[in-house]
Amino acid sequence: MGLMHLDVPEASGGYSHYGVLARFRTAKALYRACEAVRDAGYSKWDALTPFPVHGLEKAMGLKPSRLPFLVLATGLTGAGLGFGLQSWVHIMAYPLVISGKPLFTWPAFVPVTFELGVLGAALGAVLGMFALNKLPTYHHPLFRSENFARVTDDGLFIAIESWDPKYDDQATADFLSGLGAVEVERVPIEDPRDDEGAA
Amino acid sequence: MSHGPRIVHLDQLVIRPGSGWARLPLIAAAVGVVFTVVSVVLAMGSEENAKQFFHSWLVAVIFFLGIGLGCLFFVLIQHAAKAGWGVVVRRLAENLACTVPLLAVLFVPVAALGMYDLFHWTHADAVAHDRLLQGKQPWLNESGFRIRAAVYFAVWTALALFFRNASRRQDESGDEALSHRMARFSPVAVALFAVTLTFAGFDWLMSLEPHWYSTMFGVYFFAGTIVSALAALIVLTLLLESAGYFRGVITGEHLHDLGKLLFAFTVFWAYIAFSQFFLIWYANIPEETNWFLSRLHGTPENPASWRAATMLLAIGHFAIPFFFLMPRTIKRNRRLLMVGALWMLAMHLWDVFWLVMPNLHREMTFSLLDVTSLLGVGGLFAATAGRLLSRGSLVPSRDPRLVESLAFENI
Amino acid sequence: MAQSQDNTHEPAAGRAPLIVGGYDFRSLTEAVAVPVERKTPIGWWCFFLPSVALLGLFGVSIGWLFWEGTGIWGLNNPVSWGFAIVNFVFWVGIGHAGTLISAILFLFRQKWRTSINRAAEAMTIFAVMCAMVFPGIHVGRVWVAYWMFPLPNQMDMWPNFRSPLIWDVFAVSIYGTVSLMFWYVGLIPDLATIRDRAKTRIRKLAYGAFALGWRGSHRNWLHYERAYLMLAGLATPLVLSVHSVVSMDFATAQLPGWHTTIFPPYFVAGAIFSGFAMVMTLMLICRVLFRMENIITMRHLENMAKIMLLTGCMVGYAYAIEMFIAWYSGNPYEQFAFANRALGPYAWAYWIMVSCNVITPQLFWFKKMRNHIGWLFISSILINIGMWFERFVIVASSLHRDFLPASWDYYQATFWDFASLIGSFGLFFTMFCLFARFLPMVATAEVKTVLPEADPHQGEELVRVVPAGSDPDALAQAAPAGGGGA
Repeated sequence: MGLMHLDVPEASGGYSHYGVLARFRTAKALYRACEAVRDAGYSKWDALTPFPVHGLEKAMGLKPSRLPFLVLATGLTGAGLGFGLQSWVHIMAYPLVISGKPLFTWPAFVPVTFELGVLGAALGAVLGMFALNKLPTYHHPLFRSENFARVTDDGLFIAIESWDPKYDDQATADFLSGLGAVEVERVPIEDPRDDEGAA
Repeated sequence: MSHGPRIVHLDQLVIRPGSGWARLPLIAAAVGVVFTVVSVVLAMGSEENAKQFFHSWLVAVIFFLGIGLGCLFFVLIQHAAKAGWGVVVRRLAENLACTVPLLAVLFVPVAALGMYDLFHWTHADAVAHDRLLQGKQPWLNESGFRIRAAVYFAVWTALALFFRNASRRQDESGDEALSHRMARFSPVAVALFAVTLTFAGFDWLMSLEPHWYSTMFGVYFFAGTIVSALAALIVLTLLLESAGYFRGVITGEHLHDLGKLLFAFTVFWAYIAFSQFFLIWYANIPEETNWFLSRLHGTPENPASWRAATMLLAIGHFAIPFFFLMPRTIKRNRRLLMVGALWMLAMHLWDVFWLVMPNLHREMTFSLLDVTSLLGVGGLFAATAGRLLSRGSLVPSRDPRLVESLAFENI
Repeated sequence: MAQSQDNTHEPAAGRAPLIVGGYDFRSLTEAVAVPVERKTPIGWWCFFLPSVALLGLFGVSIGWLFWEGTGIWGLNNPVSWGFAIVNFVFWVGIGHAGTLISAILFLFRQKWRTSINRAAEAMTIFAVMCAMVFPGIHVGRVWVAYWMFPLPNQMDMWPNFRSPLIWDVFAVSIYGTVSLMFWYVGLIPDLATIRDRAKTRIRKLAYGAFALGWRGSHRNWLHYERAYLMLAGLATPLVLSVHSVVSMDFATAQLPGWHTTIFPPYFVAGAIFSGFAMVMTLMLICRVLFRMENIITMRHLENMAKIMLLTGCMVGYAYAIEMFIAWYSGNPYEQFAFANRALGPYAWAYWIMVSCNVITPQLFWFKKMRNHIGWLFISSILINIGMWFERFVIVASSLHRDFLPASWDYYQATFWDFASLIGSFGLFFTMFCLFARFLPMVATAEVKTVLPEADPHQGEELVRVVPAGSDPDALAQAAPAGGGGA
């Protein structure tokens, strides 16, 4: 239902809460902690930061974004459509001899072809990024944590979700504390009927 | 990823005596001298051959000069921008830039003996019947040409020597004031460089067809020059690395950046080349289109001749490298980057050939002299470069930004 | 707030701080968010109301134009293109600095851009809006302006894609679209900041809707940063192409003074030049008004001055090369066009252009002038005047004496020409005031990355250099092989 976007396994009823949220004081501490969480074998977890921490994907063991392939494809599509439209217009739909040049004047089609290629690629980049990031996602259990408002200010967080196979209520919280977290809390799971978490 | 610092030994950063690189100057010089002599002998065969020789020689000199000058520009920009990442490759560029005095010497045959064979505007009988050429006499005259060439070379030599010497002095003293001095002087040097390079392009290449003119030509010459220099830097870096130098010094990050610059300037070259062609094609004014017509139509018997050369330039100098150099995996892969850089060097050579040779051949023709001149100039160029490289460290070993450069990571 | 300190001296090793004043993440958020959240200050109204008044003038002059036609302008037979095209090129050019800062400086890893890119990108969008008005209104029959778009219609007609004016339509509208997307993508994390700080429900909903539920997940940052990088990579050739296309409005013609091959890069350089002057003007005001002297520091201003010097020299180079080649060409029409430019009836405009664009920035060779707030402000205004005159010179002086001396004439702008020029500034400043009031002026999430504590390897030694000859056994210990970073 409302939790589709969270990749919760089918039997989501079995989970009493979303997971554990831990705040770290510095980017350095967060980086080290991410390496530790990665090495401990967790898979359903995330780092949440007010700014992109340089190289954190390495510490988290994330694969590089696949966005470039999409962008190349949409860019080439845009350019191809642009070139096709112009050729079609000037050869078939509305053939007119202008300034003594042949109907198929490909150099004159370059500017519009280029611009449409860029438009296609840029749309691919932005919309593709939204799709990969599942934006907009207005409802998320993390927003139920008061502390979490700091994520757009100075809060550097790690959240481990309770449906991670290695998750254990107490052990995971202790593990994060041991990594130097200054605050560790359990975040309740969202009630789909409850709109208070809207943001 | 392991913690703890990466250890970089500067011992490895000098050419080892007795190695292949240490022997390079001698071998290359021998090749250079032999082929220069062969070229001269061939040139003396006939009037035709002399003409061919000067054109081929000009192509070779401009090609290698482009590498030197592009490297000089690379050094200037590194200082002007106070760039950190490029310190590890800057010494290579400083050394390549100092090949300019050699090329000044190799340019002497052109300025002293070859002008009549190369430049139509030196023909007094032609000028006598040509109002346009008469009007251009204040600029296009032999003594003016020679004086200007001397000035260009003097400026470039002075700049190249200044930056290499200051940098090498820093190797010994570690004096930070030298960094500041180079940074302060570099913007002025860029201005001098821009003006001299532009007019050198006008004098040596554009005036081959003295009726033709294009305000863009200086920028075009510049763009190709930088492409070739970046390609040469990449090739040299990778060759030295595979010979066992630069261990732990040059990383994928530096190669990635060099590759990005090569890609960027390839696109820039295409932008300039296309704009120049496009505006002339579109307006279709006879005195301008002439230059392109001779490169697009050749002769009535063989209209495809130069057109194929032009198509190769468009595809080989832009379309193929555009897609080849775009992915980051290629820029970070040593073998593939090497392929890309060598390809761009070849394409820049093709560009220079395409600029010069239609002046001589209405139909595209290759000559043995093209090859011998290239090997002659190239041999001497490699000998000089090798000699410069073997003196002192291969990186600016006490540059204050060396550590920053070594630790550099891309965005 | 701590005392401002000098960060304009870059040490030979290491880097001077980009922002000063001892900010940490929290105080930085505070500094940027508070101007959006506090009560509207009086000072803001002092800028906003005059801007709206000018916008009104713009509306009136456009309305009168629609009613009466282009006869209200000073156009005449040889000079059939006047202020409308000049203003169009001017405003498109202004926009280019925003993209240079947000995209090109990003690719060059010039981190100082983070303090000014948000405002500069906003400026780009508003400048493009101003620019787009003019091609729309200058055709006279505005009700058929949609003919510029390739829309299937009952007449079965299509636009002429070989026309530079159609390229303009595509280039400028796509430039506007891409700039808007780029700007919005950059805004998302900061909108989330305002959302999370919001005290009222309306604020929370309004900012929250546009923040898209952003929660700073690194799995999101990964795609986000990649998208941002690619947008920068796309915006860079785009911005070059846009002013190149604009230059082709002139350069594809056969008119001496317009038809010259250097136009595309020359226009791009000039555009960036004028745009930086406008950013400078705006930033000098905003940093004082919003007390951001420690975020938009002297160093930022100095760097902008350096770019203005560079682009000013490029523009000067183009002027000189044009003059030289006009003479060198031997073409009497070329020679006349340029002699007429410098010595003819529009010589006054030409020399205003040269002194503002070429001579003014030369003072930036001196550090003292680059750090002189008063001079920075004056020169930024002068350069904008000069760059407007550059386009005026290109348009008017090339057209007014055409091939037929019998038709020579002098273009004299009318009241309504000036009204639409000044009025367009009303649109620009109104938009900018609204932006400065309701959106975070500085890209907070990006500026946070340049604070030292944002570096996850802060203080770690990444590389250790063993000097030559210091340890004879050094090589035996085998350094890690090359390619460590790959």
